[in-house]
Amino acid sequence: MEHRRYLLTLRRFWAAAIAAEMEYRLNFVLATVTSLGNLAGSLFGLSLFYLNGATLGGWRWQEACMVLGLAVFMDGFSRTFLVPNIGRIVDQVRSGTLDFVLLKPMDAQFWLSTRNLSIWGLPDMLYGLGIVAYGGTHLGLAPWRYLRGVLPLAVALVILYSIWFMLATTSLWFVKIHNVTALLRGVLEAGRFPTPAYPRVYRVVFTFVLPVAFLTTVPASAVLDRPWGVSWFAAVPLALALALLSRLFWRFGLRCYTSASS
Amino acid sequence: MPIIETTQLTKTFRVPQKDSGLWGTLRHFARRRYRLVTAVRGVSFAIEPGEVVGFLGPNGAGKTTTLKMLTGLICPSTGQARVAGYDPFRREPAFLRRITMVMGQKQQLIWDLPALDSLRINGAVYRIPDEECQRRIGELSEMLALGDHLRQPVRKLSLGERMKAELMAALLHRPDVLFLDEPTLGLDVNAQASVREFLREYNRRYRATLLLTSHYMADITALCPRVLIVHEGALIYDGTLDGIVRRFAPFREVRLELAQPAVRECLGAYGDVVSVEGQAARLIVDRERLTGTVAQLLSDFEVLDLTINDPPIEETIGRIFARKDPA
Amino acid sequence: MRHLLHVLRVYTAVSYADMMEYRAEILLWILSSIMPFVLMGVWMQASLNGTLGMGPTDFARYFLCVFMIRQLTLVWVIYDVENHVVQGTLSPRLLHPVDPFWRFFCDHLAERLARMPFLALVTGVFFALYPASWWWPGLRSVLLATLCLVVAFLLRFIMQYAFAMVAFWSERANAIEDLWFFAYLFLSGYLAPMTLFPEGVRRLAEWTPFPYLIYMPTRILMGQPTDVVHGLAVSAVWAGAFFIIYRVLWRAGLRRYSGMGA
Repeated sequence: MEHRRYLLTLRRFWAAAIAAEMEYRLNFVLATVTSLGNLAGSLFGLSLFYLNGATLGGWRWQEACMVLGLAVFMDGFSRTFLVPNIGRIVDQVRSGTLDFVLLKPMDAQFWLSTRNLSIWGLPDMLYGLGIVAYGGTHLGLAPWRYLRGVLPLAVALVILYSIWFMLATTSLWFVKIHNVTALLRGVLEAGRFPTPAYPRVYRVVFTFVLPVAFLTTVPASAVLDRPWGVSWFAAVPLALALALLSRLFWRFGLRCYTSASS
Repeated sequence: MPIIETTQLTKTFRVPQKDSGLWGTLRHFARRRYRLVTAVRGVSFAIEPGEVVGFLGPNGAGKTTTLKMLTGLICPSTGQARVAGYDPFRREPAFLRRITMVMGQKQQLIWDLPALDSLRINGAVYRIPDEECQRRIGELSEMLALGDHLRQPVRKLSLGERMKAELMAALLHRPDVLFLDEPTLGLDVNAQASVREFLREYNRRYRATLLLTSHYMADITALCPRVLIVHEGALIYDGTLDGIVRRFAPFREVRLELAQPAVRECLGAYGDVVSVEGQAARLIVDRERLTGTVAQLLSDFEVLDLTINDPPIEETIGRIFARKDPA
Repeated sequence: MRHLLHVLRVYTAVSYADMMEYRAEILLWILSSIMPFVLMGVWMQASLNGTLGMGPTDFARYFLCVFMIRQLTLVWVIYDVENHVVQGTLSPRLLHPVDPFWRFFCDHLAERLARMPFLALVTGVFFALYPASWWWPGLRSVLLATLCLVVAFLLRFIMQYAFAMVAFWSERANAIEDLWFFAYLFLSGYLAPMTLFPEGVRRLAEWTPFPYLIYMPTRILMGQPTDVVHGLAVSAVWAGAFFIIYRVLWRAGLRRYSGMGA
């Protein structure tokens, strides 16, 4: 019964969010166009390396394209599901409207994470997957190979969500740093390139400190069957640990929460 | 020579229309339908310098739109407005220096800084020399009893103090014409009274012209000898407050206490019976026939007590607003 | 004129005080734009095989310049204008006898002043971590680069402000700016030195205002020969064109501004 109620609520949330966004038709067209522009530019940027005779850690052009495609997909995913929700948590803490959410008879983390949806990120998600397909086709990958990337990709999405939510939770204490998630998005840019392309120091940071490697390079290497450094099996426990940590951290934050005055 | 003058001022908006639900969303996306809404309809009036005029009307009647047309924020669809000899929409700096608009809901003070910083900005923008600016701040803060509050960040002030600080910022440059849109909205009783007192004093001291809208009758009765009433965009009344009662509610309420229990049917001949309870009764009687009816009642019945009331003005105005077609 | 300067001074002073309340945020904004350093890593690693004509140290210096220049010419006025239009707080500013343009401009000046200490810190950390890349461009180059930076900032500001006028018609005018911004990223030398670009793209880029916003000042600082006069002339033409667009849209926009809900 409970999960049925949650599913129905989810549908209502998202229908309303989509309706609100579709009020502005010009913007929708612009979003599609800007996503295309972004994509063209990203491919251009990547091509600069290969046109000048460099390789990225020994990865070929099509393989690097798949990493880029996944990065674009993750960006689209963030803009569709994460930014409209988690990005707004800080504003709610600041203006005091978080109180209304906490009074609802529904899990606050669920509400805050799913309340909104933005169709603006959908073109990016599609283009990203398109680039992955492009790279794979040129490498002659059989279709079933893509399935090997599904689980690592799901794991990557969980990791991204958990880290993002934990950062947003810090706004329960520090209201003045509301752009801390901008920091995260900036760091995600590093996922556009295969991790072996970086100098050693960077590689260490992107694997053990900010797990950017797990977001794009690991799923790509699973599809390509390129064994690389940390096996993707390590990603699953990492994702579970981060998900659990984000939940516990959130509960802890709520206990310490003192709502804003009027 | 009127300082505010409007001639057949009209404003029409195009409002998109959408059905609810997913199907409605998609249809709305593909093809827009619009509705024309006339917010202000041929409004004409003239206000002389130094007057304090109240602007009444139900929500959505067009009051705020009219005020915004007079300050140049909105361009009229047809018709003309002249304020202090200028066409407001041209937004000439000389014009802007002579007017001010206070919008109850909107702030212009910077949130995280003390009000004094925002006042500094206004002083620079309106070309007030520093010492003069200091003097005026002192004078206004005394009239409004703000004092030390000016040094605290605006976000730390209570609503009443914030409103008073907003008033200060709006009046620093001693405008001749003040447009006030709900200036006492959300304030407690004391703050409302002090704002009213302040506005009255300001009008007296500087002979400024005030045009204010408010939903609190106390504001209007305290400040405005003259009232404009708008209903569905049209101006339906322009005159004194007492005149409203005379024109729209030309009757009075008569309360009787009789020696014997009152009978509805008998009293019905004298006027509309509102209520009958034991020996007490309330009647509505036309003003014209008031004295005659009272004399009749006194002679026909044994009356222990008789009082005559005006129907409360809020009720009268509420009734005007509720009517679809006020005559 | 003297009056206007006085107003600008007061605007900037008050805005600076406001910025001081948000120092932590400013630091986070700086940290979230580390993309140049990410690119630096990839290019440094790629240059090790010697085919690029530039060594790792050159790339390090290049991207440090790119980072600094980007930070010093940052413009976000379109989001400010949009917020004010949507929330209706533009109306009180329209009642002031000073064009609202100036307040937005001075907010940027104040923010730049507030940002300087942090940028100096980042530069210090960079050279501490990589002392081999230290170099002094010479006083003449620094002054010339500063002039180009000022012009670059003014050009970016007027371009974005012209786009901001679209906020009177569409509630997400920043989509146009996004498109323009991608062109900026891909054609200004942000991704890589333009000597590494294909010939055709480089020729095309020289007609746009973008290379003069980042690539030209960077070349000056790195001591490479640059046609500054040509660059400034092209920038001036673009600035003039956008100024005209701004004034036309401003007039039309004011008529459109319904003030409703505003």
